[in-house]
Amino acid sequence: MEYRFLPKKGIAPFVTGLLKDFKVYGPVEKDGFPMYGEITSPKDIHLSHAPTHLSPKQFLFPPKETILRFKNGAKPALEPVIEAHNQALFGIHSCDIHAIKLLDRVFSYGPPDVNYLKKRKKTVIIGIDCVPDKHCFCNSVNTMTVDSGFDLFLHDVGKDFIVEIGTKKGEELLRKYVKTKKATVSAIKKITEFKNKKAEMFVTKLNAEASALPLIYSGSYNSPVWEKISKICYGCGSCNLVCPTCYCFDVRDEVKPNLNEGERYRVWDGCMLEDFAKVAGGHNFRKTRAERLRHRFNRKFQYQADKFGGLFCVGCGRCIRTCLVNINIAEVTNEIIEEANKDRS
Amino acid sequence: MKSLKKQIKTEVKKMRRNSTSQPLNLLTSEVPASQPRNLSTSVFDISSPYISRLAKIERVARLTEKERLYKIAIDDRKTLGHSPGQFIMLSIPGYGEAPISVSSPPDKRNTFEICVRAVGNLTNALHNLTKGDKLWIRGPYGKSFDVEELKGKDLLFIAGGIGLVPMRSLIKTVLSERPFYGKIHLLYGVKSPEEILFKDELTEWGHHGMGIQITIDKPHPEWKGHTGVVTTLLPPLKIDETKTVAIVVGPPVMYKYVIMSLGDKRIGGHDIFLSLERRMKCGLGKCGHCQINSIYVCQEGPVFRLSEIRYLREAI
Repeated sequence: MEYRFLPKKGIAPFVTGLLKDFKVYGPVEKDGFPMYGEITSPKDIHLSHAPTHLSPKQFLFPPKETILRFKNGAKPALEPVIEAHNQALFGIHSCDIHAIKLLDRVFSYGPPDVNYLKKRKKTVIIGIDCVPDKHCFCNSVNTMTVDSGFDLFLHDVGKDFIVEIGTKKGEELLRKYVKTKKATVSAIKKITEFKNKKAEMFVTKLNAEASALPLIYSGSYNSPVWEKISKICYGCGSCNLVCPTCYCFDVRDEVKPNLNEGERYRVWDGCMLEDFAKVAGGHNFRKTRAERLRHRFNRKFQYQADKFGGLFCVGCGRCIRTCLVNINIAEVTNEIIEEANKDRS
Repeated sequence: MKSLKKQIKTEVKKMRRNSTSQPLNLLTSEVPASQPRNLSTSVFDISSPYISRLAKIERVARLTEKERLYKIAIDDRKTLGHSPGQFIMLSIPGYGEAPISVSSPPDKRNTFEICVRAVGNLTNALHNLTKGDKLWIRGPYGKSFDVEELKGKDLLFIAGGIGLVPMRSLIKTVLSERPFYGKIHLLYGVKSPEEILFKDELTEWGHHGMGIQITIDKPHPEWKGHTGVVTTLLPPLKIDETKTVAIVVGPPVMYKYVIMSLGDKRIGGHDIFLSLERRMKCGLGKCGHCQINSIYVCQEGPVFRLSEIRYLREAI
């Protein structure tokens, strides 16, 4: 792994360089909140340690994405639509890089999802260090640091950044846009120091090892916690929207006013919504809100982990910040951990 | 021995080459060309899995008030290439796309049959189409029944309502090679006599050495046969549990009771196959609607051996 010095004032020329070759998305400020948005000049960038409300999954898996165009009539036609452009995601936190790595696996499992994978292939990821807020718990799910899945990663060490080079492509881009020096050993040490300091900063913690969570969750099926939180949950699906690893979608058609042409598109869907598992005949396989909550939580900690090998909760805390009734995924998990401990003793 | 292995190797290579060098479909030829070359590091050209094949309705038959049987011919003149139990994604652009079971046995020609109940947006639109109208299909998808494994066995088919539709593909496959199987029984439960599907074919299947018993849920003035839910047909049935395999397809509520009744007949999870219905939007193991715990029904199902999902919560 190679590390290079990049003075903080080097960020502007670096981003200017990126803008020549890529559409750049990065941290901006809107209505006083940090979020990811398009960057047209280095001035747009608001580097902030704070977590964003929405994850960067929208740039790889848009909220609404056309997948086909069709024409009815005498000569019916159907053509696939795969939109992908060179894009750079700048200032991505480690939890979100972990989330993207999970999405990479999801969308290449079974029949490859070309719409996602083509976008992914044209995407450069530049990560950055962050500082946890009171809802972050990445340290409890092993996503506080990341060692792959990025092209470049910026570590803040005071007046400079130390750029960790993740890929050859990242190295080339860095060389192309700015002059950097090889980082000194003492500076690299600072990265570890920062990590150690960060690890002490978490307010929200899970009370079990991350690797034990799938097993713990497998015993949660009849837990009273689902009924309890279902009494306050609105079933609004906000947690699905903000989650960086929620990828379920609906497929719909839209016809143009000429009634002859149209598009088939996919839109984000959410397993918390009432009709999510309802079939045309009327049977709903997850009728109650408690069942849907259980499905969503288990999907993060057990089901997808069984399938893909990693927890699908990356500890970003977004669902906690967003929930209108303060359902807290970490508290719920700790309750389940406590029940499991009780069962054992 | 060696030469055969070599031959297979070269054949596989050839198949791989063919499958990657050709665009998947008629309308996609311009797509690979427009893909920028310099950015893709992948050797394979992957095309959109949502591309469908154009097809035409060749025949429509009204089976009941709500169900119609469609014979569909694929425009590219190639076979659908399905096995019994698989499904397709059928679409009428503008109305959407939905998973539909294939109801006919495998066919070398380009035709296949589906039986559709008008219950949703797409299926209602389909009921308005007639002979000659076009629609789009992709697939087949999903795991099918393992016909080879059923050979030599007594088969006990248990269908509820439109569960007979996907089952028909397997029944017709089995009856076309009748001598390979032992006793064959069909227990078929419907709500009322008007809802009995494939009436003429049922008689024909009877002539091919299939014991058929039909039951309706509640007494009906015109019905002289058996009344009661489908499980009431099981106790009097003589079954050799050492060689019977049960195939069960029906509405979600049916499975639990049928499985219990089969247990009474000493038929266990290893010898019970079922097909599970779920909502599906992609058929590709992505959209999440068909998920049961960690299983995607569109990929690992819809046909399951009961013992595979016996302890999968929410499956049955």
